[in-house]
Amino acid sequence: MSRLFHALTLGQRCGALLLLSLLAAAWLVPLFGYNQPNVQHLSAAFAPISAAQPLGADQFGRDMLARLAAAVRLSFGLSLLCVGSAAVFGILLGVVAAWSQPWCDKLLNFIANTVMALPGLVLVLLISGIAPGSFIMLYLGIALTLWVEYFRVVRATVQPLVHSPEIECSRLLGFGRWYLFKRHIWPAIASNVLTLAAFGAATSILMMASTGFVYAGLKPPTAELGLMIVELFPYFAEATWVLIQPLCVLVLMVLGFNLLAGQKA
Amino acid sequence: MSALITLDNVTVAAADNVLVQPLSLSVNRGEPLTILGETGSGKSLLAQAIMGTLPASLTMQGTVSIQQQPLDIAARRQLWGKQISMLPQEPWQALDPVMPCEQQVSEVFRYVGNAAAASAQLAARAQLDQVGLSQVSRQLPQQLSGGMAQRVAFAAATAAGAPIIIADEPTKGLDTSQRDGIVQLLKSQTQHGGLLTITHDVDVARQLGGRIMVMRHGQLLESGSAEQVLSQPQAEYTRALINAQPQFWPAATPATAQQPLLDVTDLAQHRGEQLLFQGLSFSLSAGEILGVYGDSGCGKSTLGDTLLGLLPPASGHIKWQQPLHRSQMLKLYQDPPASFSTAVTIGTLLKDLLKRHKLAASAIAPLLRQLNLDAALLNRTAKDVSGGELQRLALLRTMLLSPKFLVADEPSSRLDPITAQQLTQLLVRLAREQQCALVLISHDKIQLQKVCDQIIDLKDYQLREVQA
Amino acid sequence: MKQILIKRLLQLIMMMWSVGTITFILSRLLPGDMAYRIAAGRYGDDAVSAAAASAVRQELGLNDPLWQQYSHWLWQLMQLDLGDSLVSGNSIIAELQHQLGYTLILAVAAIFLSALIAVPWGLACGFRANRTLDRVSLVVSTLLRSQPVFCLGLLMILLFALTLNWFPVAGYQQPAHLFLPALTLALSLAALSSRVIRNSTAKVINSDFYLFAKVKGLSEWHSFKRHGIRNIALPVVAFMAMQLVGLIEGVIMVESLFAWPGIGHGLSHAVFSRDIPMLQGTALTCGALFVIINTLVDSLCYLLDPRSRRA
Repeated sequence: MSRLFHALTLGQRCGALLLLSLLAAAWLVPLFGYNQPNVQHLSAAFAPISAAQPLGADQFGRDMLARLAAAVRLSFGLSLLCVGSAAVFGILLGVVAAWSQPWCDKLLNFIANTVMALPGLVLVLLISGIAPGSFIMLYLGIALTLWVEYFRVVRATVQPLVHSPEIECSRLLGFGRWYLFKRHIWPAIASNVLTLAAFGAATSILMMASTGFVYAGLKPPTAELGLMIVELFPYFAEATWVLIQPLCVLVLMVLGFNLLAGQKA
Repeated sequence: MSALITLDNVTVAAADNVLVQPLSLSVNRGEPLTILGETGSGKSLLAQAIMGTLPASLTMQGTVSIQQQPLDIAARRQLWGKQISMLPQEPWQALDPVMPCEQQVSEVFRYVGNAAAASAQLAARAQLDQVGLSQVSRQLPQQLSGGMAQRVAFAAATAAGAPIIIADEPTKGLDTSQRDGIVQLLKSQTQHGGLLTITHDVDVARQLGGRIMVMRHGQLLESGSAEQVLSQPQAEYTRALINAQPQFWPAATPATAQQPLLDVTDLAQHRGEQLLFQGLSFSLSAGEILGVYGDSGCGKSTLGDTLLGLLPPASGHIKWQQPLHRSQMLKLYQDPPASFSTAVTIGTLLKDLLKRHKLAASAIAPLLRQLNLDAALLNRTAKDVSGGELQRLALLRTMLLSPKFLVADEPSSRLDPITAQQLTQLLVRLAREQQCALVLISHDKIQLQKVCDQIIDLKDYQLREVQA
Repeated sequence: MKQILIKRLLQLIMMMWSVGTITFILSRLLPGDMAYRIAAGRYGDDAVSAAAASAVRQELGLNDPLWQQYSHWLWQLMQLDLGDSLVSGNSIIAELQHQLGYTLILAVAAIFLSALIAVPWGLACGFRANRTLDRVSLVVSTLLRSQPVFCLGLLMILLFALTLNWFPVAGYQQPAHLFLPALTLALSLAALSSRVIRNSTAKVINSDFYLFAKVKGLSEWHSFKRHGIRNIALPVVAFMAMQLVGLIEGVIMVESLFAWPGIGHGLSHAVFSRDIPMLQGTALTCGALFVIINTLVDSLCYLLDPRSRRA
């Protein structure tokens, strides 16, 4: 673990620290009793900061701290799920495409090109827009747009490697496919995959917030950052402070993942 | 004789150590000066110091004078092209990848010589004609061979009329014939101006003549006229360097009669549409050494891969007289780092191999001794080991499996001459001792003649035009 | 060149097929009776009756077997018959034509503005790589990139429209209305492309061939003009293809935020009001726009790089 930490650049360390503290806060907050993100106190709309509501309350008098913590947990959970399944799927298909017969490669590449013909957000909106409010649809839509990147990068990296001296040599020495993957292919793609994963997490958080922002994602009263922002926006004049909170949290989360991904554009 | 370049006590240093010890030299009109030395001897830094292109992390001290004028870096840069010019190490990288060759020459006449567009184009054609390239004007650099690209670079570098040329390893990676062409070009330069060549190739230094300085680890070992240095070297290193040339190698003892291993009859092979060779027949016995010779791109490596069964032959038969296990037919690669995974240490890779073939770990130590390798190297990754050591480790890796048939594809061409000699001799000795048939692929015929029992020149098996 | 066009045309067809298929499948998967939903969409929730629903069912052939409905759906799609909006009742094609004009104005303005920002910014950083200016701009770019486009837009509104009162918040009648959405989009594009330009610039001016150009005797300016510009531009243009995703996604969010009546606004409205024909139409247009601009970028790459013509 400490070796991993030392391998990171300053920016990446900052990103990791930012994300870890957000995560810790999001899971610790409910333990301190701020665990009712959806309970309304209409009389206490935009209640000022107090011990019971350390970050104030929103237009329905709901506790902002509890809502933010719930929203962060939701965003993290969704992004983890999306990135995880997209990465496994994309890496698998990428390696298969690069390593197998030309017709298989062509077919997989054709499928990837078809998915890529539609900008990610359009696909997500399309899928989640027809069945709004469904977490599964949101997840499917985002994961479907993310896997293509892994596929493309892995395929492009592995293709020249398949005919490289190092793999030919290991083959001559009698090693099997799993060994070739472990010693030659995974080391070659690992850093790219991790970078993609960090960017992918940022992308999925942004997409979820974007669908929420146009009312196409999860439904109220779910505590979701995009939804919170769009619902609070009409009150920006009387409750600027409350509007800024979900904005900041969203930016911090995305920033954390962008920093973690490193400088590669 | 007037000195064109004079260096007075020039040193190059990084933050904590001196890379080039104080050095003085002068390059005179009509007399080429060659700096000879292995990679890492600091000779390229010297060229950069003269031009003023050292990386910012390095510092230079001492004075550099051009035409007896001491000049600082900014002043020297003003002279680029007009007074002093440099031939690059990697001509492909030094030419703009997206501009046709002729324009890369004509722009010099146009913008440095202030010629009109039409006359600049004519001058560029004449210049390219002069270096023997009249057909390449519209070609892009990637369409040229290394030798041709170096000629274009020469034409461009001298287009603005610089009388002084610095050539930094101008023949790196070129075939013998291409190399000799470039050397002739450089020699013609010295009739009117000054030439400072930096090379690791003793042949190049010999052909250029003039004066030679031998450098090692940033230090000048000796200097003198080419004849004197090459025929009566004073420093021990110079002697070793000269003796490492294949023509001075001792001849290997020929193989004694052995069991036949392999019969090849009427073999032919293609690359795409192109027929590489045909009608190739030979037989090979255990412990015998076969040399395969040819220019780059003629299909030497393809022949090796075909024998190893990595490629199916286009026609003909390969018949094994003894049954061989798949992992007893192995290959040694041209570029040692490219044949190792760099993700884990070499020791781990060897352990993987022992486990795969259920061998005892005790097999490694005697081979390490035989190959003169330090056991501590096993704790490093392939990135952190020098080319010569890594190639010996690659040899160790193959020897662990007691191969019966080994293809060595230019195993020493990326190594310094002395290391190359050591490696080739070790390889031959081990093959003999272990009764392993060795196919040694090389573009150096003399080297093959010294160590091989039989030699195949692929030129003899290429398609000849049928005379009507 | 022909290959590029064929590849992209194929992609366009596949995109239309997949959008059509996804909308078809999902519209059938929705809970509840589709005829009732459509009737409710047309006549309002209160006016729905069994008679209205069965009329709709008859009209749209919802009693036919699924594969028949599907092939009918695709057949209409092939003829570019996208049906009528469930909300306004207008023909989808007519609405799209209207929206497309606005979107194109916004997109062109944003690309132009972003080039105006990113090119000097990227070049300046590339020529002084790893100096103060470069480091500061890396931080700025990272911060900008971490903003969802709508956050950036909200900040713009808060700053320029509501606090400073320089520009109107939303609307589309006057040219001034274009400024804030275009600037928002341009900034988010420039944040990334300036870094790409910076990297490309740094790589080219440190390359062997750039040094050799100067060794030949060319001045700084001639080296840059002859060997810098085209070589820097190549990866930047190739990267634009990747950035197009950001452009289209940005257009959707920015139009929704600023109520700019383009395709993106239409798309998010269609999502909100469950107007499935409209949703399909706007998604198709976004996809087509994406593929077409991609084709333009490919062609530009092809023209810029002589290597691709002689390979």
